[in-house]
Amino acid sequence: MPDLLNTSLTGMLAFQRALDLTGHNIANANTPGYSRQVAEFTARIGGGSGSTYVGGGTQISTIKRMYDALLVEQLRISATGQARFSALNNLAGRVDSLLADADTGLNTGLQNFFNTMQDVANDPAEIPTRQALLGEADGIANRFRSLDQRLDTLENEVNERLTLAVDDINRIASQIADVNDKIAVAGVGARPNDLLDRRDALVLELSGLVSVSTTIQDDGAMNVFVGSGQSLVLGTNVQRFGVRASEFDPTRVSVVYEGASGSTPLDTALSGGTLGGLLEFRSRVLDPSRQSLGQTAVAFVNQFNTQHNAGMDLRGNLGGDFFSIDPPRVLYSSNNTGGGTATAAIDDLGAFTGADYVLEFDGASYSLTRADNGQSIPLTGSGTAADPFLADGMSIEVGGAPAAGDRVMIRTGHNAAGTIENLISDPRSIALAAPTRAQSSLANIGDATVSQLTVVDAEDPALLTPAVIEFTSPTTYSINGAGNFTYTDGDPIVVNGTSVTINGVPAVGDQFTIEPNYGASGDNSNALLLNDVQSTGVLDGGAISIGESYGQLVASVGGTAHQIQSGLAAQNVVYTNAEEAVLSKSAVNLDEEAANLIRYQQAYQAAAQVVNVTKTLFDSLIAATSR
Amino acid sequence: MRISTQGAFLNGLQAMQRLQEALDYTQRQISSGRRILNPSDDPIGSARAIELREAISRLDQFDRNATIVNNRLSQEESALSSINNVIQRVRELALQANNATQSNESRGLIAIEMREHLENLVQLANQQDGNGSYLFSGNLEGTQPVARMGSSFTYNGDQGQRFIQIGEGRQVSDSDPGSSVFFQIRNGNGTFTALADPGNTGTGLIGAGSLVDPTVYDQDQYTVQFIDPNNYEVLDSLGGTVATASYQSGDTIAFRGIEFSLSGEPAAGDQFIVAPSRFQDMFSTIDKLATAVERTVNDSVSRVEMNNAINASLLDIDQALGNILDVRTQVGARLAATENQIDSNGSFKLTMQSTLADIQDLDYAEAISRLSLESTTLEAAQQSFIRTQQLSLFNYF
Repeated sequence: MPDLLNTSLTGMLAFQRALDLTGHNIANANTPGYSRQVAEFTARIGGGSGSTYVGGGTQISTIKRMYDALLVEQLRISATGQARFSALNNLAGRVDSLLADADTGLNTGLQNFFNTMQDVANDPAEIPTRQALLGEADGIANRFRSLDQRLDTLENEVNERLTLAVDDINRIASQIADVNDKIAVAGVGARPNDLLDRRDALVLELSGLVSVSTTIQDDGAMNVFVGSGQSLVLGTNVQRFGVRASEFDPTRVSVVYEGASGSTPLDTALSGGTLGGLLEFRSRVLDPSRQSLGQTAVAFVNQFNTQHNAGMDLRGNLGGDFFSIDPPRVLYSSNNTGGGTATAAIDDLGAFTGADYVLEFDGASYSLTRADNGQSIPLTGSGTAADPFLADGMSIEVGGAPAAGDRVMIRTGHNAAGTIENLISDPRSIALAAPTRAQSSLANIGDATVSQLTVVDAEDPALLTPAVIEFTSPTTYSINGAGNFTYTDGDPIVVNGTSVTINGVPAVGDQFTIEPNYGASGDNSNALLLNDVQSTGVLDGGAISIGESYGQLVASVGGTAHQIQSGLAAQNVVYTNAEEAVLSKSAVNLDEEAANLIRYQQAYQAAAQVVNVTKTLFDSLIAATSR
Repeated sequence: MRISTQGAFLNGLQAMQRLQEALDYTQRQISSGRRILNPSDDPIGSARAIELREAISRLDQFDRNATIVNNRLSQEESALSSINNVIQRVRELALQANNATQSNESRGLIAIEMREHLENLVQLANQQDGNGSYLFSGNLEGTQPVARMGSSFTYNGDQGQRFIQIGEGRQVSDSDPGSSVFFQIRNGNGTFTALADPGNTGTGLIGAGSLVDPTVYDQDQYTVQFIDPNNYEVLDSLGGTVATASYQSGDTIAFRGIEFSLSGEPAAGDQFIVAPSRFQDMFSTIDKLATAVERTVNDSVSRVEMNNAINASLLDIDQALGNILDVRTQVGARLAATENQIDSNGSFKLTMQSTLADIQDLDYAEAISRLSLESTTLEAAQQSFIRTQQLSLFNYF
């Protein structure tokens, strides 16, 4: 009989524990990362009794954690992808809206500016219209600056978010190491299910920040690796991540790995997760956008200034620069040991890219590479003021005493748009007229007419020196009484930087004068040419106009944003599926637990009844013997 | 497949969130009327839309420009029309003055009227527009184009012509400089002038002249000199004899590709000078004419002298009228071109606007049926969520 009592007792104890477990499961029905636990019953081996063999009740051999490592791994990978696209989508979408929006984008400003330029061309002497043009010029400079500033704000936001993400990674890494410690103390055999769940939840959170890989040690501790195999957690040890000012730009944050051998930059090695998404946004969307915007700005300013220099203002002065923009920015590496200097300027808009470049001195010579793709750019010239290095539309002058391995970064477009200023404040200083005019003498006898005056060299020092083309015969002419040039009907004649075309048959003594265009308040020749700046091909070897250049930027960012959006939608589905699979395997089903409650309750009651039976049996025995 | 409580809950929730997102997107599309809300929705479409909006804005600007050109050309045309009327009137007066019935006194009155017309003409040439800019001074808008010093007239403007863009790659000029309207006018018949020498003592009257053979005419200055009343010789500018011939009244004198008729009785030693046409401004032309009309006529020689002078001026006047007609024709052509361009800009704009609408505007019928479908689906999802969430074994405990 005592065996029966013991047997029923094992049942009652086991079912009580099972009921506890069911209660635990129900309590954690909504705990993220919780894996439901299932009691596994096994029969107790009893003692022998003659030839028969009766078991000794039941016991809970293990409390099993319903868990599939492969599904969890899938979930981690998809969480990494989803977080990456989510960060990218958020930021790229903002750049996209910023650039294409009619209120913040450049298109409307450029269009208004050039439309006003046409208004001015219609009425070049009108001061109010000229004043309106200056307003639009301020407006366009402001648009460029504010666009650049908004992008700069995004860059700072990326810096801050990177710092926060790195802090999070370090925090989670410490927590994982902590849990590792507890698991090791509990021992592998103890199956500390809730600790394992906790660690999986931490690793999942970490996967949302950066792509990780894990291995399990024999003592149950988990090792976590990131990037190209850098260890983040080894057992109970944590290697920290950090942020540092980047090599060239102190305002730009770079993620580093604080290993035993010093800090290693990780910007290109990290991928996935929020951190990967941020770095990817910076290199794939933000940097190219700023460079492209800068390229447009530089091209606009240079083209517009060049044409404005070739005009004459209301006071009879040659046009000065209309806008100003900073030259390419030279940033010295923080690792430099020598005292080398470099300056760069824009040399050829057709080859100008707006990209960042790294100029490196190897002890004997300089080499240039593009910072974004590492492409080597051949240098011509010797780097002196008289013979500067020429590459990709830049001219670079080097000096000082650089040490071998010293590097400088040349940013040709990155900040350029933010430095545009309108230099003209006096409406009379806008150079809308041609600087020279061609006149035929009213005393001419021949039929020849002069037309098509163009300024071919606005920098000719003698540009404003009057010149007389006089025909010495119907087929020859002299300039200012000197020379004897052959006249061909319709061929351009270039005098002091001005080119004119004479058509028709001149008579001997016929005169054509090229003179400064003083007082020509009604002349809009240069205004029309300034207007052409909008649509004249200048970039990419003269194929791309300023308007098109900005359009390409908008289209390219829009395309990238679109691609990211689709990527995010796909990743969401992948993530949801992976999550569903994990939940399906591991999460609590309340109906199931309710059924278990009933099951274990009934079993407990039955086991209790067995005690009752034991008692009855014992009572019967006592009654039988007490008589 | 095993369904966990959390999974069922999340599934239902996510489904509703997705539906709400879609519903919100459709709702925003409908409230804005735009198919593309963010450029990334349709990057190619939105880039194209930007280009189209830019092009439409340019066309609007071209329309404004064309209107300005139109106004200016109309103003110029009206000025030219007045100028034409004045010259016509002067021409009529000249014909009147040339009539033999006029006395010295009546011609004097005609000359006074002519000089008044001349004043008027100078004023018309110095006309200003509403902004105070001179109509005919070229690009020197602030400079009065025509200045008079006694009987000499000078042009102070320049020969610049302003062009205005009225279409993609299409520019028209909105003005003509005074030099080409008033000053660069060939005198005589446009090729040469034939004038009687002021010292002539005969009554040789020059008639109409013309260029017969342009290949032979060499633009030299020739003198037709009468050896005696019945014979003349033609000398070139170096004194070389070009031709000699006998003369009868009404004869055509022809040499070196040109000819003109001569009537009356020239005296021995009388000269008629043939010179290439030069530029002569129309003010000087009228001034010369008035001076000719003012001449005192007291015998046949002085009458012929006057007739010769008036005839020569009439040729110059006809050249001036011809020039004004040329300019007016050009202005008319430009006006027509501007009108055409405005029309073609308009139809081009219409095409682009409809393309733009295709790209960016919402198909309301589609959007509204989508909205009702989405809201029905959301409602169904909400109801089924409530239903399934209510199902629990615990309800029966």
